[in-house]
Amino acid sequence: MNTVEDIFSVLEEKFGAKRDTQDKWGVAAIVSAAYLHNAALFLKESAAIKFEMLVDIAGIDYLTYPNHEGPRFAVSYAFKSMSVPGARIRLKVLVGEADLKVPTISDLFANANWYEREVFDQFGIVFTGHPDLRRLLNHVEFVGHPLRKDYPAQKRQWLSTNDYLLPALEKRLEDLGYRVVQRSKEVGTNDNEYLEGSIKE
Amino acid sequence: MIVLDPNGEKLNLMPLNVGPSHPATHGCLRFLAAMDGETIVASVEEIGYLHRGFEKMVERGTWQQVLPYTDRLNYCSAIMNNIAYVRAVETMFGVEIPERCKVLRVIVNELSRINDHFVCIAAAFQDLGGTTPFMYAFNPREEIMCIWEKLTGARLTNSYARIGGLYRDSYDGFEQDVLAALDSTEKALKDLHACLDRNRIFLDRTVGIGKISAERAISYGWTGPCLRASGVASDLRKDEPYYDYETYDWEVVVGTQGDCNDRLQVRMAEIEESVKIVRQALKRLAPGPVDIVDPRIRVPAHKLAYQDMEGLIGRFKSVYEGIRVPEGEFYCGSECANGELGFTIVSDGSGHPYRIKVRPPCLTQFAAFHELVEGGMLADSMAVLSGLNIIAGELDR
Repeated sequence: MNTVEDIFSVLEEKFGAKRDTQDKWGVAAIVSAAYLHNAALFLKESAAIKFEMLVDIAGIDYLTYPNHEGPRFAVSYAFKSMSVPGARIRLKVLVGEADLKVPTISDLFANANWYEREVFDQFGIVFTGHPDLRRLLNHVEFVGHPLRKDYPAQKRQWLSTNDYLLPALEKRLEDLGYRVVQRSKEVGTNDNEYLEGSIKE
Repeated sequence: MIVLDPNGEKLNLMPLNVGPSHPATHGCLRFLAAMDGETIVASVEEIGYLHRGFEKMVERGTWQQVLPYTDRLNYCSAIMNNIAYVRAVETMFGVEIPERCKVLRVIVNELSRINDHFVCIAAAFQDLGGTTPFMYAFNPREEIMCIWEKLTGARLTNSYARIGGLYRDSYDGFEQDVLAALDSTEKALKDLHACLDRNRIFLDRTVGIGKISAERAISYGWTGPCLRASGVASDLRKDEPYYDYETYDWEVVVGTQGDCNDRLQVRMAEIEESVKIVRQALKRLAPGPVDIVDPRIRVPAHKLAYQDMEGLIGRFKSVYEGIRVPEGEFYCGSECANGELGFTIVSDGSGHPYRIKVRPPCLTQFAAFHELVEGGMLADSMAVLSGLNIIAGELDR
């Protein structure tokens, strides 16, 4: 009978994962960004317990964490097994401020697309290879990344226009095999025209 | 816009904006659809119109002050969110809550689930043009709301759970009220089934609409009734039992088709299961304490604070400094009405949460919305939307 601990030791062996001692209640592994995609693929498809579902992706900013050493950011991935009920594992990738890049896993899990957009939106961490890295929760005109510890909670910004979805819709049509011959007349010659027309001051 | 379809045929598509303020986009949801006549060819969603910055707000208060914010996540079943949050924190403390507290939490949890499912079903039929089921569903819901009012003082955004216990014990006559609400729930279910099961219009509008396969639903991270409607028997109450859910006699309801009709039927059947659980829980409800006795976790009662120095200190420390959750990181998910509501908690051992990330069940379901509506009619998208039960409060946080 395989346990989640066994899966962790395979992760340790294959992907150089380290035990995240901060998680005293479950099993969490720290992997390097370079191994993340392979580790996620392994968990999803070839591990003895398959973790078919990506439950959550959470960004963490350790800027004001007491006695914290190491990179400033972390991205935590929570996985859940559907075949073995109750089996869960977390992967964590540490991200330094100098190189805010993590490879995307949106090709493996469909919901990673939005989760990664959210982490990008709130923390400014860039997911390389992501098909559509836009803000998810905050406004398109928003400046900064609000869940970073150095973003003041009281700060106000003037946001005046809604998201401009036509380019995203064109992209979706192309993904479905359509080819846009003539753009909608609502799309100006310049995609940014719509935003520039809004009140800024 | 003029496009060539995959077969090379020329089509003139109209971009159509739906929402964010549309009567059928409950809360504030928006999607932009490329329409070929009445058919949706492609669709993209946008969320965030109800983003309040939950995760930023909670970093400023104490651990207990997070509770009222959790009510505003899924406001159709507020108490359930409380319980999901306090369960995560209690697991970090490693404390066991008293038996009566457990049973009471199961009762309010399941009543909330009934409440939430009734809202979903009622709103779904309202959106399809049927007003009668709305009235059937809201009668028992009103009775449950009256129980909330007596129990917590508030009707909609109420908080009942506390870290290490409950706000207070149940009131005199609670059992009778719950039993009466269960009876009218069962009656309403009977009426709803009579109204809908063989209703030609309803079946035409929902059967085969917004279908999703089990694999796709799992890839999208669907949980709760929407996943179960696709035939996956996944329920955290059975898979990772808490509060002795495994000792109650009830079944996980699964659908077969994964369409809009199944998602609503699964919810109706789940109400029946919840009624079964509450009836059993009421029998187990024995007198006893509802709070754990530990001033480091649960604030001492008022009575103690006025009579006892230790109680006063405990109350003062707990309110001003907040409780100190053990340092570490943890993900804990609970089965809520819409699916798995999870909290990724990072604690630095101080009285304030360092970071709390909410995993709302709606987000993953709405992320798949375009796949459900593409190829269907515009009117069907409303049936799909209400069948998913998207609650913007937890979607946008």
